[in-house]
This record gives sequence, C-alpha cells and structure tokens, in this order.
Amino acid sequence: MKTWPIWLAGTIALAAVFHILTVFGLPYGIMNRAMAGIASQAGGVNKPLYPERATAESRGIVRPSPDLLYTACVYDVSVQPVKLSSPVPDTYWSLSTFASNTDNFFVVNDREVKSNRIEIILAANEEAGSGQGIPVIVAPSSKGIVLFRSLVPSEDLREEIDAKRREANCEPL
Amino acid sequence: MKLALKLVAVVVVALILGAGSALFVIRGFGLGGDIAVGPWVTSLTIGSTQADPYTRARVAVAGLLALNRDETIYFTAADDDDGEALRSGCTYKVTGSDLPARWWSVTLYGEDHYLVSNPKNLYSYGGDSVVREEDGSFVISVGPEEADRNWIPTGGQTGDTFSLTLRLYNPEPDAVRDPSAIALPRIAKETCQS
Repeated sequence: MKTWPIWLAGTIALAAVFHILTVFGLPYGIMNRAMAGIASQAGGVNKPLYPERATAESRGIVRPSPDLLYTACVYDVSVQPVKLSSPVPDTYWSLSTFASNTDNFFVVNDREVKSNRIEIILAANEEAGSGQGIPVIVAPSSKGIVLFRSLVPSEDLREEIDAKRREANCEPL
Repeated sequence: MKLALKLVAVVVVALILGAGSALFVIRGFGLGGDIAVGPWVTSLTIGSTQADPYTRARVAVAGLLALNRDETIYFTAADDDDGEALRSGCTYKVTGSDLPARWWSVTLYGEDHYLVSNPKNLYSYGGDSVVREEDGSFVISVGPEEADRNWIPTGGQTGDTFSLTLRLYNPEPDAVRDPSAIALPRIAKETCQS
C-alpha cells in the first residue's frame, strides 16, 4: 500500500496548524517584546517612560509619529489596579490602552475629557477598581501598554507640551 | 529510525510551509486593508477589538499601538498613482488639500517601518506645518534631492523602497463612516536617479 498520500496530507495539515499558530501568536510575541522594552527602560511595570521625539534612531515601536510626544507604560493589573493620570494640554492629546493581543480597547482624547486633568483606573474587573470616585476601565488582559499622545503643532510649543506630558503617570493604586 | 527521520522531515517542512506562508501574508502587504483610494490603503478594523487575526498580526508587525478608526484613520501607500513601488531614488509630488480631520500628517517610513535617516531630521508634514499654495492646496516633495519647501527626504538609496502613512486624527464623522469617499493626496512620480 502506498503511504505517501498519508504523509503528504499529514504535512499539509501540520503546516495549516503552524500557519494558524503563527498568525494568532505573532501579535502576542511582538507585544511582549514591546512591553519588555518599555518596562526595562521605565524601571519596571506600572511606571511611565518619557521617550524623546521619534527620529530615525528610534527603534522601540514601528511607525512612530515624529509630530507627537509619547508617554508610555506597561500596565500590570494582575495584583492590583493601576491609576493613570495626566494633565490635558491645549493640543491634540489622547490616552489609549492596548491589550496583550494589540487591541486598542480604550481611548479618550482632550476634547472628550472636558477638563485640564484626567484620572482613570485600569483594573482586572469593575469591583477591583471601584470606590475611588474615579472612572474604572476593565482591562481584557492582565498586562498591556498605556500610551499618551501629545501633538506638537509647532516648535515654539515643544518645551511647554514636553513639560506637561512628563507629568503623565502610571502607578499601582 | 527511518520512521523517526520521516516524522522530523514532516515537522520541518510543515513548519517552513506553515510559518513561512503566514509571515509572507502578514509582512508582504504592510498594514494592508480592504479599502483602497488610489494607492492609499486602510482597514476599518485597524486597532479595533473587531480586527480579524490577519489584520491584528499586520498591525503588530507594521503599526503596533495603532488607534481605532473613530480616533485615527491610517492610510498607507507603498505605490504611486501608477501602481509602481515607491523608490528612494525617485522624486514624487504628493498633492492634495486639507483632509477631513482635526489634524492630519504624511510621514515617510523605510522598508523596516522606521523613520529614514537624513541630515535635516525631516520625516513628515502635517496640517500645521505644510506650506500651502495660494488656493489652499499643498504640494509635498518626496525624494532624495532637497526641494524649496515641504521636502521629505527618501534617503536616496536608489534600490530601496519606502511607504507613506497618512494619519487623520479625530476624523470627521463622514470620513469615519466611509473612508473610501475621502479625497486623498495624489502621488505622482517626477524623476528617478539612474
């Protein structure tokens, strides 16, 4: 009896499994690498990192915008909730959170905040972060990335906007 | 022994075929997308929790930490208006008018998805920085040779390719509803170095 059709079918089936594993696993692998890079520079999880303006030398995250100033932190809500806070500058600004599979599960911008300061709690569940009088966002994964974006519309304003974005913070509650 | 060798060969071949085909599909088309406007491409689900596994993988490779389309629409162009790959040794004119968003920008990235090194640290132009024509339109010069204004250097390695990303921050509701109806900049090739 010829066995090569069985071997061929087995190879194709196994190739399909590897294909699916790669497609599903790649986002997690790349996010894990990005989180490790941010956490190592920030001194750990739940701590903010204030990178300089993106240039050709920037190799942390692909396709950075040179027109924005970023504040980044790796959140970890597995033990306790994380408090995110920042002044809201008079320019385009947003606070966004990304799950370990890259999904952008929450974003708020300066026009939506309607205040000059924002405080938000990121928690594993609603109960864990309640009782503080601060809005609670439930994170779909225990670890992920928080990114604050501040647009620098002109060089005259860079210093002022840079100072404000350095007040953005991530800290365990 | 012979069976064990066969099994190892099957696993190796399957790994090369399976992982290789996945990486080809993911890496081969940038951010990809199901909406094309001229050479510009986007997807409605970039950054979204509704993204399919392939879009999610492409975002991880070519646009990690992208926002969802209610906040920002990202268009990417790897070709010019004639469908030819954007090459660092060529000069292009990117012409258009203000886009339907609170703020927009055009940024150049190399094949590795990072900003391209140049002596003037020029990487992008946006609604706040671009110098406009008398009628309010703009012309951005993309190429290896310095232009009088609105110049984004390509780095000038003639064999290299690059791509442009158009960001629309806080897009207008009509743009969010139907990104395919947005009048996007044209990308016309002018000259190429020999």
